Amino acid sequence: MAPSDRQQRLAALRDTIADIERKPALAEARPLLQPGAESDFPMPAAGLLQEIFTDEQRHAGATLGFALAQARSLITPARPAVIYLQLARQAQDSGLPYGPGLRSFGFDPSALLLVRTQTITDLLWASEEALACRAVAAVVADVAGQHKALDFTASRRLGLRTAGMGSSLLLLRYGTGREASAAHLRWRLTPVLSARRRFDALAPGAPRWLAQLEKGILRQQQTQWLVGWTHDGLVTQDAGTITGRTDAPWPAAGTALPQPLSAQLANRLPEAG
Amino acid sequence: MREIDRPLLAAAFADFADWHSNASPLVAVLEDMNAFGDLVLDITGVDHLFGGEAPMLRLLLSRLRALGYTVAGAIASTIGGAWAVSHFARSQVVADDALTQVLDALPVAALRLDDSQVAGLTQMGLTTLGQVRPRPRKPLQARFGLSLLTRLDQAYGQQQERLNPRLPLAERHAERRFADPIGLLDDVLMTARDLAIRLGLQLEGEGLGGQAFHLFLYRVDHKVMTLSVNSARLTRDPDHISALFNNRAERLSGEYDPGFGIDMIRLAVSSVGRLDAAQLGAFADDDGTADLDQLQDRMSSRLGTMAVLRTQLLASHIPEQAARLVPALVGAAAPDDPPGPPRLRPLRLLPVPEPVAINAEVPDGLPASMIWRRVSYRITKAAGPERLGAQWWRSGQRLDLLPLPAAPEADGKPAAAPALARFDAEAGTRDYYRIEDAQGRRFWIFRNGLYVPDSTPQWYLHGLFA
Repeated sequence: MAPSDRQQRLAALRDTIADIERKPALAEARPLLQPGAESDFPMPAAGLLQEIFTDEQRHAGATLGFALAQARSLITPARPAVIYLQLARQAQDSGLPYGPGLRSFGFDPSALLLVRTQTITDLLWASEEALACRAVAAVVADVAGQHKALDFTASRRLGLRTAGMGSSLLLLRYGTGREASAAHLRWRLTPVLSARRRFDALAPGAPRWLAQLEKGILRQQQTQWLVGWTHDGLVTQDAGTITGRTDAPWPAAGTALPQPLSAQLANRLPEAG
Repeated sequence: MREIDRPLLAAAFADFADWHSNASPLVAVLEDMNAFGDLVLDITGVDHLFGGEAPMLRLLLSRLRALGYTVAGAIASTIGGAWAVSHFARSQVVADDALTQVLDALPVAALRLDDSQVAGLTQMGLTTLGQVRPRPRKPLQARFGLSLLTRLDQAYGQQQERLNPRLPLAERHAERRFADPIGLLDDVLMTARDLAIRLGLQLEGEGLGGQAFHLFLYRVDHKVMTLSVNSARLTRDPDHISALFNNRAERLSGEYDPGFGIDMIRLAVSSVGRLDAAQLGAFADDDGTADLDQLQDRMSSRLGTMAVLRTQLLASHIPEQAARLVPALVGAAAPDDPPGPPRLRPLRLLPVPEPVAINAEVPDGLPASMIWRRVSYRITKAAGPERLGAQWWRSGQRLDLLPLPAAPEADGKPAAAPALARFDAEAGTRDYYRIEDAQGRRFWIFRNGLYVPDSTPQWYLHGLFA
């Protein structure tokens, strides 16, 4: 074998080893971002396990909104379904997704399948089954409170499943305590005073949230975004508008929706903001 | 001494009847005379499996006698005939041509008549069926009613009689008998898988698929356990069917009780429809929706049908009636647009609205502060009210639009005024507000009723916005 050949092979092997050492399990060096959304809010790609924390359970509307906003961008013709999982006894505490409300939010209610389980074990089983299905774009699991079954092993298992099957799991959690988990991304979401509603400054406008990334890296040197849900999907907004009730700039139109939407749903979006 | 517990006996006998479906699929409890005690089997096309009618009767009777029951039985071409022979003659197989002769010799009580009819016939001197049959029918009907003639015709086969099978009639089934009874749930499920493969091949040969699958477990001690699963679309895939049974069994494993063992397992399919063979590979329409249906099946079979739900939108302006959660297996049609302008609705709705305390600067003004779940909120933005009226057409109430016409006081009562409560427009009217507090939490609240003298309407929180 010629020395040059040998050198090349050695270099190639070293690269391989370096790759393996950097990413221990599976091919986790996958893109974390959806392509084509460079300027705006960095939309996480499909196939990630995300935890969306919020401090209190009364913010349940905000987390569901943020999760569904992401889930809608993941829906494709081949993956038309989103599954929402909740413990049956928590329906009154955090509310059930409401069909007409989903419509006015811009999410087609027929795409959402609701699963209400009795135990956390059933919920984890159902989310694993749902992630294994090729037609599921995203699974939104709403888990309030601490559960023994939802430990690092379980989240590692779910993380591997999401990475293997290419569907996302959005885990909605409440409280300020954090546990070890294998989530690819962990958000802390706080509702923020809504945008100004046109022609009626006194009324609540388009929803806005402060999304802080606690784990994972989406974009260099940025860990928090002020996100608004508008015609154009999730858009980041200037942090200066958080405080006060001053006029928030209506986000510039022009950026297309992440996914083609039926005109009917798109028409309703202005009503939401 | 204790009174006989008839409902319990009837239920026990019904279980016992189910168990006899291992002899023939059509089993019924004859409830004409008593809710228990009379078992009917339609053995059309079954007897050859037992070596003919006489050996079959002998087998069925002897295996019950071996258990200590006192049994009498008969095989005849009519239900009435078999009942008469089994109750009033020795157990035997009655051939078609001998039926009239055998029945003629039996007493009139063999017709399933009530006591007064039997007493009346005896009073007339008619003791056997042979004496009743040639009598003119008109006087008999006039004296004893139509039921006597019906029973007579049913016994002699002049009139058809149907039996109501206890178990749903399965069109296709596969079964396996065990020389030694089995008990373990895993064995049962393994057998179910084998049966699913056999049934799948059978269905494939006929170009059919099924939607409802039933597993019947026949216990040695005369009980039948059934396990049913449903599938969202027609299927004959053994893997899918056995996975559904596995999920269901996992859920019901606490109630599984094989008793002294299971000696026969039958897998039956109902709701059969045409299912053509699908081309796999290059031209397959692989859109993943089949996967979604299978996912629904699996989750419904383990978590229960009422746990896997889909939203159905309805045309109603009352928020909690505008959407309904229906089982996904039912196959909700694509929701069509509810009429009317699109309305702003919250993303989450509380199943039961929760009472809140609201302060407003003026009674009909926008809310200024709120106390919900013992936490107070300072409201900075609000919009409303959106007034939703009560549904006067749904309740037993009437609108009070015009004064009622002066009723002709004929006998002290008004003529045509319906006795409905007056419709109270204020009580059911709700004013909805969208509010936002200083921290940006957005809620949907409503006031039930209007501000009228002598009443303070209650406020409720109904939903959470994104």
